[in-house]
Amino acid sequence: MKRIAALFLALGMVLAAGCAKKDQDEPEQREVFAMDTAMVLTIYGEDAFRAANAAEEEIYRLDSLLSRTNEASKVSLLNNAGGKMVPVGVALCDLIQTAATYTELTGGAFDITIAPVVSAWGFTTDHYQVPEQEELEELLTHVGMEHVQLSGKSSASAGYENASLDPGTQIDMGGIAKGYASDRLSVIFQEHQIPQALISLGGNVLTWGSKPDGSAWRVGIQDPNAPSDPNAYVGILQLTDAFAVTSGSYERFFEQDGVTYHHIIDPATGYPARNGLVSVTVVADAAQGNGTMCDALSTALFVMGREKALDFWRSGACDFEMILVSVTVVADAAQGNGTMCDALSTALFVMGREKALDFWRSGACDFEMILVDEDGLVTVTAGLEDCFQAAEGGGYTYEVVS
Amino acid sequence: MKSFPELRPRWPDAVVAAAVVLLAVTCAWLIWRGTEQGGALEAVVSVDGTEAFTTPLTGLTRVERTVQANGYTLKIILTDKEVWVEESDCPTQDCVHTGHISRSGQSIVCLPARVTVRLVGGTGEPDVDAVIG
Repeated sequence: MKRIAALFLALGMVLAAGCAKKDQDEPEQREVFAMDTAMVLTIYGEDAFRAANAAEEEIYRLDSLLSRTNEASKVSLLNNAGGKMVPVGVALCDLIQTAATYTELTGGAFDITIAPVVSAWGFTTDHYQVPEQEELEELLTHVGMEHVQLSGKSSASAGYENASLDPGTQIDMGGIAKGYASDRLSVIFQEHQIPQALISLGGNVLTWGSKPDGSAWRVGIQDPNAPSDPNAYVGILQLTDAFAVTSGSYERFFEQDGVTYHHIIDPATGYPARNGLVSVTVVADAAQGNGTMCDALSTALFVMGREKALDFWRSGACDFEMILVSVTVVADAAQGNGTMCDALSTALFVMGREKALDFWRSGACDFEMILVDEDGLVTVTAGLEDCFQAAEGGGYTYEVVS
Repeated sequence: MKSFPELRPRWPDAVVAAAVVLLAVTCAWLIWRGTEQGGALEAVVSVDGTEAFTTPLTGLTRVERTVQANGYTLKIILTDKEVWVEESDCPTQDCVHTGHISRSGQSIVCLPARVTVRLVGGTGEPDVDAVIG
């Protein structure tokens, strides 16, 4: 009898050990459809299940708060208020202030009030069209953060609770919402003491900790020349505790009369930014707020173009690294400084390679980037040299700049 | 020194000891095998974030699965080496344009239908853990 009991005891012990081991190693995985994209959450740790629930709930909450197409959202309430001051809550007011900060930092290259112009191109409804020049000029008079007002502080230290927009002005938080969501998820992971997680929110990634085996997460940057090929990367980033965001012109576009128009609109011209870049990846450590920063900067740097983006990175105004990919370099003629794009002509909003480089070197923000030219030259800023792995067989050549 | 008769090992004791050792080795093997990426490559199809079905690819010649979700219909083809969406009546056609996936970690997403096709398992580590862009 004792022998039988010992046998069952041993069996129970090894099975219990096996279960414990399995729980530790297997992640909690969730797929979430929100913010117009498919998100994948992979979360490890003892409290992974509860953390995943909280993360999923937070994503849906933010989607319903920030969505421009959801008529019940606070953003829709603000956009449809007809110029009146309306209560939108501290969270949205804080995010509008953050957006305003990046508008100022980037010289207007990132601007949430570009919304009516984006709509005129049909990118919010998928009914694409090229707007008339007169229409764009009229809409651009409503673009700019000076058309947004905040009020309603309950105390000097409290945040604003109310907001209003000048008539004709609308906001779209799409350029910052997923980044903000990744910031919020990092808070949840801290609260639940999550040791490792990989969060993919469309073009936004948060690598939390390392992989369970201690190695870095491997994040591929989609090759813009083969956007539909799941095996085609410009390169692979090896990241731990980092945010990485990519904006690319190949993500949403249409063709009309032989011309391709993409969805990243230059607030200065109302036209899709045309400066040779096709993809911008911004990388920063997993400090709170950096997810939002990466999201805003990936759009802003795309609008700036290669040289200006490089200047911005070198300026040190923000702490980040970046990868810029361009397939056409058309702006050598615009080399120099201060070339502004004219809304009347595509050529006038071309900033081009040299200007982007100047911007990066100016140090206005501390970031890194990768640029790819039409001749297949990939330019990687120095801070990414150790964690960027070039893709083989893609036909690219690589250089590191400082 | 004289030993007590009841403490002398007998053949049933040896059987128990051998069984414990065998169990330990078997469980250890099962545990460690479970943490690896190994095993058959499987296609996991999810709708609205919930797993609809999982199909091991081993031994398949060509299997066609139709998925209807959120008003759209996708025709998914599975073979022993790769998976793809052959047809979809969704407006974007991104799922069709994604082409064939063949390695663990790769996925096809149809946003309008809210359908994902993901490859898991298989031998070897996936090239990347995530793709941005």
